[in-house]
Parts: sequence; structure tokens; C-alpha cells
Amino acid sequence: MKPNEFDVIIIGGGITGAGTQRDCAMRGLRTLLIERSDIATGATGRNHGLLHSGARYAVNDAESAEECIRENMILRRIAAHCVEETDGLFITLPEDDLAYQETFIASCLKAGIRAERIDPAEARRLEPSVNPELIGAVKVPDGSVDPFRLCAANMLDAKLHGGQVLLYTEVTGFIKEGDTIKGVRTYNHQTHEEGEYYAPVTVNACGIWGQKIAEMAGVKIGMFPAKGALLIFAHRVNNVVINRCRKPANADILVPGDTVCVIGTTSTRIPFEECDTVHVTPDEVDLLITEGAKLAPALNSTRILRAYAGVRPLVSADNDPSGRNISRGIVCLDHEERDGLKGFITITGGKLMTYRLMAEMATDAVCRKLSVNRQCETATTPLPGSEKPSYKEVADTIWAAPTTVQKAATGRLGTRAARFKDNDRYDSALVCECEEVSVGEINAAIERLDVSNLTDLRRRTRMGMGTCQGELCACRAAGLLAKAHGCVEREREDLKDFLNERWKGNFPIGWGDTLREAEYTQWVYKHVLGV
Amino acid sequence: MKLDTVIIGGGLAGLTAGISLQKAGKKTAIISAGQNALHFFSGSFESMQEAPERAIDLFEEAGIRLHYREGARLMPMGTFRPAVLSLEDVSIFPEGQLPRRALVINFTGYHDFFSSFIAEGLEKAGASCRIRFIRIDEMEHLRLSPSEMRSVHIARVMDKVWEKVVQEVRILLKDEDTVILPQVFGLKDASVPGKIRANIPAKVVFVGTLPPSVPGVRTQQLLRRRYELLGGTYLMGDEVLSATLDGDRVTGLTTRNLQGHPITADHFILATGGYFSKGLESNPEHVWEPLFGLDVEALEDRNDWYERDFAKDQPYLRFGVKTDPELRALKDGKPLRNLYVAGSILGATREDMGIGGGLALRSALAVAETIAKD
Repeated sequence: MKPNEFDVIIIGGGITGAGTQRDCAMRGLRTLLIERSDIATGATGRNHGLLHSGARYAVNDAESAEECIRENMILRRIAAHCVEETDGLFITLPEDDLAYQETFIASCLKAGIRAERIDPAEARRLEPSVNPELIGAVKVPDGSVDPFRLCAANMLDAKLHGGQVLLYTEVTGFIKEGDTIKGVRTYNHQTHEEGEYYAPVTVNACGIWGQKIAEMAGVKIGMFPAKGALLIFAHRVNNVVINRCRKPANADILVPGDTVCVIGTTSTRIPFEECDTVHVTPDEVDLLITEGAKLAPALNSTRILRAYAGVRPLVSADNDPSGRNISRGIVCLDHEERDGLKGFITITGGKLMTYRLMAEMATDAVCRKLSVNRQCETATTPLPGSEKPSYKEVADTIWAAPTTVQKAATGRLGTRAARFKDNDRYDSALVCECEEVSVGEINAAIERLDVSNLTDLRRRTRMGMGTCQGELCACRAAGLLAKAHGCVEREREDLKDFLNERWKGNFPIGWGDTLREAEYTQWVYKHVLGV
Repeated sequence: MKLDTVIIGGGLAGLTAGISLQKAGKKTAIISAGQNALHFFSGSFESMQEAPERAIDLFEEAGIRLHYREGARLMPMGTFRPAVLSLEDVSIFPEGQLPRRALVINFTGYHDFFSSFIAEGLEKAGASCRIRFIRIDEMEHLRLSPSEMRSVHIARVMDKVWEKVVQEVRILLKDEDTVILPQVFGLKDASVPGKIRANIPAKVVFVGTLPPSVPGVRTQQLLRRRYELLGGTYLMGDEVLSATLDGDRVTGLTTRNLQGHPITADHFILATGGYFSKGLESNPEHVWEPLFGLDVEALEDRNDWYERDFAKDQPYLRFGVKTDPELRALKDGKPLRNLYVAGSILGATREDMGIGGGLALRSALAVAETIAKD
């Protein structure tokens, strides 16, 4: 077999693609994953980071709810270092219909979701930031999950099982013979090289962009691009996920994650052409703050760090203009059966929570085509970082670093943080002080995790995700990247891109402390550093 | 407390105005809430349309030598920017006089000084460069904590052991005409950069680090000392809570530390800075001046406050307090007779006076002159 021949090619480096590659690789297939940008740049990295219990879907979409709770329990086992077990509350406010609670609890229990009605006073004790005017509360097994970490861990495991990954590589066309897809043509945006890769099966795991890839292959999928806007607050206001106990609507979920919390989302249909350039409007910001403050009034006086938006990869079913009534269900299409196109599978719909199940379905389809008979093991095999002994025990072995740095590193890397136990004082020096990311961790990410630029580094290590949003650490990291890649000119440009990417999330919320920080950044970068 | 003039804000504008007025025989006080933009001072003024002799003299008397020389200065990221008036530390390269061979020195494990960027910038400009890392035993203790290797901490050590750096450099120096060092010298002892220059047989160029800026912190300290030696009262860590007005005059200020003892004066100077220093505040609806509720020149629609490209000039940075030709603050369209405005709280409303440090100097000198004549 030639170096550009594989058993399966997976297009898309989001969580679905990464999960599918892991599953395929674990079943012994030679895999290649192709991503036009960096990992987790689409909907994977642009959501709440909510470990759904499924309760949100229980009333309207029993199938999604059941999938969610099953996967929820699986992720707690296989991705322990990506998951925080916080629990969640569904609260009823005076303006909501308390009768809905009955239906909600019954539907949850039917779907297998532990849903426990609790006294409003007990809810306030569990989560002191919750709106004190609540008249009802239900406790469910929600949690939070770090989608960047989860995506990187899946890809890392795929590589440990022999998988290959091409980032910043775009599929420009398919190599077809008659009614069969034989491979893909690619263009690498960094090296500007064109390439050809062959495999008997290609999986389209491109989220909303899957529509374009399918078109390129000669088949049609009607997608429904639904934009969702979210805000990150600079403090972890709540420790328990807070939802509204009513029919799903705008800005009714508040999720704690690491040192911050996230409110969202909105849902607006957008033209397909806008998927690459979604931005958050002032109206969306105002709505998110107003509705969010109803869940936790403290949000009114909490600094906002960043606004961002993602596009849900929903598959159109009817003419619903909001997209909320479309099933979040998984769509796995074997285009041979559906369109008579051989060697091509699309896996789409679904959500972050069900990525593993989607990957299993896609891999089952791949294996059927290749007549491979291996069972899926992803539901029981821990991801790298979540093995035994637990990462909490590993934290204790990193003696050299201060406790906070130990905790931060093991939180991010799980058991893999053990490699930092021999770090010297040079490697222990901090690059990012908000998230406590050390020189050693940055260098390890550059060496092992396919990092091309500062924004990639941010997704891998959380560097620059904290309160100052990479004010000064971006420069320190740029120095390390310049050294690793041996190119200063590229890093100087990279720093400009990083600042622009940061500003994109800042200007929609550009007032108060955010504007103060922005003025400081302008001053430092333009007049002091000369970027 | 009865004073001639009370200055709100202890940054470059406030200190310049305070020193000028004390020299003119006025009794003044400066109310300073804390650190200010001098801590991020690059060491050069970029927008000086003319050589302000008075500013040079004022700094000189405080022990800070400014030199007026047009040319390019080497920035921390290896780029060159124009400069007009600079601190002694800052080397200005007149056109056509860039280094040919440079030795770039950094401390091992110091990530706030960008030696590779500087070397690349110099090489692009035609120089050949060597980068060398040095270790000084006396600063090794900084590594015990993962966030102590920062400019000011190093500078504190260097005030005492700068001679060791000179020794190391002399060992490393071959045929280079220029030595590049991080700006971590002369925090308390302003003579250190000059002594280093005198002891190294090549042109020594100090290039900035990540903030805080060591020459900036030193400038702040020397200006403050000068102001206090002239008899000025510097109220550090105090904050104005409210002001009382009588018609078109400000009559007094209440501060956090002196509650119950309003500070009165004939004149007041508002030098509270831009957004960062809270001279201007903002919410989703508008931008305002929080102490006196002065008229602010700003765009109404929040959508117009920003350029999407971060590198472009941002409209919000042009917003500022409105003034009459004498720099008296406007409130409801009319000037307050004894409230003057200086520094970056003016935004770009007085473009004739430049921006940033240049604006601070010129507006402060202008305001002090008007008040001294009164």
C-alpha cells in the first residue's frame, strides 16, 4: 500500500470527525483525517460545553434525550478529564408555567434521566447564584465538558492507533471512477501544496459544511444552518448548570466551565454563505444578558469576556423558520443506498454529546463496506488522559510545580500531565498567568499536538482563554512558537491574527472593563511593542 | 485643606501640570488613585510637532534626561517606529545609521524580551546578529516562583549587579558594533544605563520588554519625587468620590480618604486618563465622564465605536471630554470657569496637541500656564 492510500478518509476535524477516526483506528483501519483549518473550529468549539443530561430534549424529542443520557454516562467514564460533574437545575420562574414541571419530570424519567424535584430553598442552597425568585426546581445529571480537550484527546488516540491527521488541508475535489468515490484531492493552505489521497471509503463529517462536501461529491443534502450566539462571563458565577424549565427558548442555559461560565444560545436561520463569517450582533448580546440575568441575576454585574457564535448542523426536515423544532437527531447516510454513489458516507446532525455514538454509527457503516468485523470499543476504552490511576492521583506526583499549576495542568491533560513531573524551573515558568499554563506545557503542545499558530495553541492549552484574554501571554507564546518553528516573520503575522481573533469576540461586548482592556491592548501592542 | 490648584490624576499629565505650578509658586495637591499609564511608557514621544523646551527642562530638573532626535527606534517586536523626543535609555537611529553587527543579549528563561524578533528585525534591516543568553546567579531566586521573571523584579536585582552583566557582555562581545540589552536597568538608580554604556566598548541599545516598563516606572518615581520636593502634596491611593459645583465653578472635592474634609481650591485640573484609568467610563448605551458629568464627544451608535480590524484606528479612542480653547471643561455646552482638562481624557478632541504622551505633556503645560497667569 502506498503512503497516500488508506482504508478510510475522514473529512472534518471537529468532534465527529475526530471520534470517527478514533473508532476506525481502534478497529484496525488505516485512517486519514483531513481538516481545512484547525481542530474544533466549527460547532465543536462554539457551543456551551454542556454535558447534556438529555433533560432539555425529554419533552419534545425522546430519542435525543435517551441518546444524551446514555452518552453522558459513557463520557463520565471514558473522558473523565474532560468532564466536570456539576449536576444541573431546571428552574421555574414566576413568569413560567409551573405545570410544565410535571410533564418535564415524567418525560425525563421515561427517557431514563434521573430528575428530582427539589424545594426552591434547597435549589438556592445548592446553587446560591440562582434567581432567588424561583418557584420550582428539578435536579438532573447535567455537567460540563471541554470540547477542545475532548476533540484533541480523540485525535491523539487515533494517532496512537496509527491514524494520520492533516490540518489546514482543504478537500478541493473527489477522485471518482464511474459511480464510486476513490479518493480526494487536497490543497494545503500552509505549504500551498496539492495532494491526492485514496481510500475505498470516505466519510463526510463536516458539520454544516457537509452540504458543500456532499455537493462536491455529487449528492445533495439539505442542511439548515442555525446560528447560535453565546457569551462567556469572566467569573464562574454558578457551580451547577442552570436551565429554564419550559419549552426550549433563547438564552436559557448557563453552564459553568473551568474559571468562567457561558450563557446561550440564540437560534437564527442564516444563509448558507454566512456560515464562515458568523458574528454576534448587539441585539443578540442584549438578549443574552437580559435572559441570562433571569437565571442568575449576578450576570447583570459580571464582566463579559467574549461573544461568539456557532452554526448547528441541522438537517432540514420541514419549513420551520427557527430551527428549534427540527430533531437534533443523528443522520448517517450511506450514499450508495441513498444515491447510488459508492464509497461515500455522511455523518451529520447530532450534537457534541452524541459524537461518540455518531462515530460508532459511521464506523459501523465503514466496516460494513470494508467487510471488517470488529466490535466498537469506544464506549469502554478511556481516552488518553482518562486512564487509571485517575488524573487526580497523577496531580500529586508533579512535585515541582505549585499546587495551582499542578491542578491546572492535570485538569487539562489528565494522566498525560505526568510527563511534567520532572520539569525544571525553566519549564515551570508561567506563560499564561490567568490559566496557569507553563513553558513546559506550551512546548509539549507545540511538539505533539499539531500546533501551527497562537489560536491553535489556545484551543489545546487554554492559554489566553482567561480574564485577560491573552493580553501578554500571547507574546510570550509567540516567542516560543518562533523558536520551535524557526520563523519570526510568520509569528509576527500570527500575533496580529491572534489579536484580531480576540477583538472579534470583544467588540460586540466593547464597553466597561472590556473597553478598558481594549484600550490597554491598543497602547501596549502599537506603542510599546510595535506589532 | 485650602489650595491654589487641585489636580485629579497622578500620571504624566497630572505630574507635569503639578511640577509646573509648584515652580510658579502655587500650592497644589495631586490626587492619585494608583498606577498610571507611565508604567507602560515606551520611553519615547511619537507625536511632538515641536521641541517643547519647557518639557525637556522640566524632566531634566527631575533627573530625567530627554533627548530630541528624530529617527527610528527599535521596538521590542523587532520593528522600527519613528520617535522624536525620547528618554536617554532609548537609542534613536538616524536614517542610514542602523547597526551592522549586533549582539543581542537575553537572560536564560526570560520570555518577556523578544531576542529572536529583534534579531530578525535587525537582519531584515541589513545587520548580522548573534543572540546569546546569560545567567546571573543573583537573579536565580526569581525562578522559585513561576511568575517572578518579570521586568521590574529583574530590574530590582540589576540595580545592584549590573556590573556582572557588563562582564558577561564583554566576554561575549567579538567584533559587534552594537549590543542590544533588555530595558531592565535603572529602576531606582537612574545612572545605571549610562554606566553600562560607558563600560561596554560598543554602542549599547536598550530595547523594551513586556510591561511594566522599567524606564516608565522610574520616570513616574522621579517626577513624583521632584513634585514633592517642590512642596506639592501627592495623595497616593486616594480617589475623588464627588464634586460640588456653584454655578459655573467647581468649589470642592470629596475623596475616599478625606471624607468630611472636602478639598477646596481656586482651580482644578482633570487629568484622569482614558478608559483604562477610568477617566472615561462606558456602558452599552454611552460613554461618560464620571466625576463631573462633563460633555463628551462620542458617537451615538455602539456599532460605530469600533473598527472590525483591530489594527485600524479605533473610533472609541477618539472620544474625549469637550473643552473651550483654554482647555476649560464644558458641561451642558458651557465652560466651567475653573476646571481644566489635560491628558488622554481629551481623546482626539484636541488633535492640535497630538495623542498619548505628547498630548499629556502639551495639554498639561498649556493648562499650567493659563492657571499660573490667573
